[in-house]
Amino acid sequence: MTVRASAPATFTELILRLQSFWSAHGCALLQGYDLEVGAGTMNPQTFLRVLGPEPWNVAYVEPSRRPADGRFGENPNRLYQHHQFQVILKPSPPNTQELYLQSLAAIGIHPDEHDLRFVEDDWESPTLGAWGLGWEVWCDGMEVTQFTYFQQAGGFECAPVSAELTYGLERIAMYLQNKDNVFDIAFASGLTYRDMFHQNEVEASRYSLKESDAQQLFALFASYETECKRLLERKLPMPAYDFCLKCSHTFNNLDARGAISVTERAGYIQRVRALARGCAEGYLTSREALGFPLLKRSA
Amino acid sequence: MSADLIFEIGCEELPASFIGPALELLAAGWTSEAARLRIGHGEVRTLGTPRRLALLVKGVATRAEDVEERGEGPALSSAFDGEGRPTKAAEGFARKWGLSVEQLGRENGRLVASRTVAGRDTLELLPELLSQLIVESARNRKAMRWGAGSVTYPRPVQWLCALLGGAVVPVRFGVLEAGGVTYGHRFLAPAALTPRGVDTYVDQLREAFVLADIAERRARVVAEIDRVAAEAGGRRVVDDELVDTITGLVEWPSGVLGAFDAQALDMPREVLISEMRGHQKYASIEGHDGRLQPAFVAVANTPVKDVAVSRRGYERVLRARLADARYFFDEDRTRTLASRVDDLRRVTFQEKLGSIHHKVERLGQLAATAAAEVAGVSVDHVRRAAQLCKADLTTGMVGEFPELQGVMGREYATHDGEPAAVALGIFEHYLPRGASDGLPTGDIGALVGLADRLDTITGIFAIGKAPTGANDPFALRRACLGVIRVVTSRGYRLSLERLVDAALAAHAAHLGPVPPVIPVMDAEGKTRKGKPERPTTAEARAQVLEFFRGRLRALWADEHGADVVEAVLSAGFDDLTDAHRRLLALSAIKSQADFVPLAVAFGRASNIVEKQGQELLPGEVDGRLFHDGAEERLHAATQAARVRVDEAIRSGDYATALKAIADLRPLVDAFFDAVMVMAPEADLRQNRLRLVRDVTRLFAPIADFGRIQTK
Repeated sequence: MTVRASAPATFTELILRLQSFWSAHGCALLQGYDLEVGAGTMNPQTFLRVLGPEPWNVAYVEPSRRPADGRFGENPNRLYQHHQFQVILKPSPPNTQELYLQSLAAIGIHPDEHDLRFVEDDWESPTLGAWGLGWEVWCDGMEVTQFTYFQQAGGFECAPVSAELTYGLERIAMYLQNKDNVFDIAFASGLTYRDMFHQNEVEASRYSLKESDAQQLFALFASYETECKRLLERKLPMPAYDFCLKCSHTFNNLDARGAISVTERAGYIQRVRALARGCAEGYLTSREALGFPLLKRSA
Repeated sequence: MSADLIFEIGCEELPASFIGPALELLAAGWTSEAARLRIGHGEVRTLGTPRRLALLVKGVATRAEDVEERGEGPALSSAFDGEGRPTKAAEGFARKWGLSVEQLGRENGRLVASRTVAGRDTLELLPELLSQLIVESARNRKAMRWGAGSVTYPRPVQWLCALLGGAVVPVRFGVLEAGGVTYGHRFLAPAALTPRGVDTYVDQLREAFVLADIAERRARVVAEIDRVAAEAGGRRVVDDELVDTITGLVEWPSGVLGAFDAQALDMPREVLISEMRGHQKYASIEGHDGRLQPAFVAVANTPVKDVAVSRRGYERVLRARLADARYFFDEDRTRTLASRVDDLRRVTFQEKLGSIHHKVERLGQLAATAAAEVAGVSVDHVRRAAQLCKADLTTGMVGEFPELQGVMGREYATHDGEPAAVALGIFEHYLPRGASDGLPTGDIGALVGLADRLDTITGIFAIGKAPTGANDPFALRRACLGVIRVVTSRGYRLSLERLVDAALAAHAAHLGPVPPVIPVMDAEGKTRKGKPERPTTAEARAQVLEFFRGRLRALWADEHGADVVEAVLSAGFDDLTDAHRRLLALSAIKSQADFVPLAVAFGRASNIVEKQGQELLPGEVDGRLFHDGAEERLHAATQAARVRVDEAIRSGDYATALKAIADLRPLVDAFFDAVMVMAPEADLRQNRLRLVRDVTRLFAPIADFGRIQTK
């Protein structure tokens, strides 16, 4: 009879528990990407790795920037940057749901104490040319995880299918610690979330909503786009994808600033999607040229 | 010999809206396939929860029916040679049937073969049948792959339970093989359990905390909500759609009471209910006085150990949402609705038709035009309501909850101190929102709503995007029905054509002239006539009116009969209220015994006039050309009736008019019996045609009797 886990007391502890759990269940632990991304999905360790036949099982924390969500550190629930815990299981195992529920138990969320529900939610990212079917997982009415079986990424069919589990760490921490304001979360012993991130929230919100130089951002978008295409031609899909991410984040900044009109928006999204598609194609080709090395290993 | 079949598809949580249709497809698929394969069976039942779809069939024959096969072969004369030996033809025929020539029969001078093909064992036929049913159940539904497999389904299939009697049916789906077990509630009874039979299947699952029968589960959801609402001293706010959704989200409904800050109640009821039901799927509670209570019911899938824990969770989430709503509500009210109208310049209505601001300007004008025809309406109020009716689209609240458009407009207008009638009109201009929704209670909402709908309908037709059978993205059908229902329910005497013309003119002013059609060159370098970009105003006008005609038919035909509706519409429908009254009058006499003879007589008259249209000269009937007393009598009666009928029509008393017309029937019949209308003498013929014409003129404004079915 396993000992029932109690809730982790700090944000740090929460992350450690999830990392331990998924590491024990076959995931390699990675770190969040060192470029600005809006979600764990955009990290090449998800976006590129879900393509092609090679297996892939990883888990990592992804600091995710969403410029339009900046609230100058004044809103108790909304942040310029939040943290996702991202898990990829490829191919998706038949007991994905069971594993996920066990991971919740590991962080003190037990199904006989909380109303846990899988509520239909199909995910799609127009910029990445990706979509999947799955659920929002609700814990007593609050969404704690986005659970998706990827069907397509970068315009390509995903075979085998990857299961993506994206936990909203701040939400979960607030719930477990019974805090109503994200900044009151106990981050580590003697340190709150406010201590760690508040100044960044204030300044990053100011930058993205008021102070950014739209002209500079438009110019950067164009040069990142050009460089991405050039690198794809040079058969360097991975550095090319870095530039695709830079385009995407630049677009997010322009959008948050209100510099992009409703009619232009679609055009910019198209351009980023085209880059993502090119990177996906380039990556698949490169893995094929290498002989899909991880495939042989698992056989 | 027969056995009962249990077939259960166990899945990861299925979308709530998928369950019902999937079960229907399972049942229909089984019935048709079993018939095709000649497998006899009894009662079919389906059950479903988010985690399983089940097909239960009683008395499935363990063998398919035997089939008698028969075939005709060569004529006896070509089957045997002179010595009575079988020819190649006879032998070939016998061989084809796996019989010897001696075993063939002889009938009607030909060789015949017959054999009985034994029905196969059902257990052999079921695996393919059932795996086909799995695919069939997800027809037309977004599906996914999972793991390394290639089969698709709306969510991963976890298990298959297929039992015929006690035997497992070896159904396969991808790498999954069927077994003889099912599973209970995900948390409360996850262990495998073996179904004992179709009659106890539901009971066994119930013991495992799964209410598999949809009706039973739905009733439990309602009972739980009622129980909790009563606990709070109130009653549930009736919401069938929400109950259906919740039923599709749980296997074991368990209601929990939650509360929210009563201060939130100063926001409109619709806001609170939208927040609660929209994302959270909570049921709202009202007091016995009908007022919303600061409480809700969350229906969980698991009865947890300490409801206080999950209650805290439910309340937290709602608190955050209500805080958002409060933020919007307060923020929205820092500006007046009037100050927002200019912002509508940045909201597109339709790419070619311009912004919502353009629409507002057009519909204000159109509503005022219509209002001038309605007694007792303040045109100023109509203009004001039209001006403000879309302003709430720029508010945060409507941005968050689009279904609150109109509701927030009314709320904010009231807050701004606009006249009550204007505020009400802003809300009511959206009514009716659906077939069963209420109609506007005031003229302002009715007229602004009319103008809004006519503006949309004429605009979309004007740009050449008329709806097709499958495609009606601007919901023009609903808009058209709305116009008809509002006008007829309020008895407005408006000219549809004048309003359509005015609306089209406003669009033409914005769109400019229709561009000329330029020739196009195809792939082979040949030039062809191009397609016009959009219709001319005259063409659009005709299309719009035809569209209305189609909707009138659709709306009225079920109740009154398609031919009666057609008869009325053929006499015109420019005044919708008048057309409706004519329809009611005609429909009322339809059930009378003498209606058919009436229709025959006048229909005949109508058809004659229609056919002879070209030959008719204007002019009066000349009594000196009468040869038969029947002509004289009909003419006199028609003249007399004319006065009465015109009088009745003028006062809208179609019942009286039709009665007066009906009184003429015997004389019409006598006339047709005695007189040859198409006499060879031109002057007689024309005179008689004029007489018939006079008769038809009596009822022409009411209905074209020639359209009525008399067979």
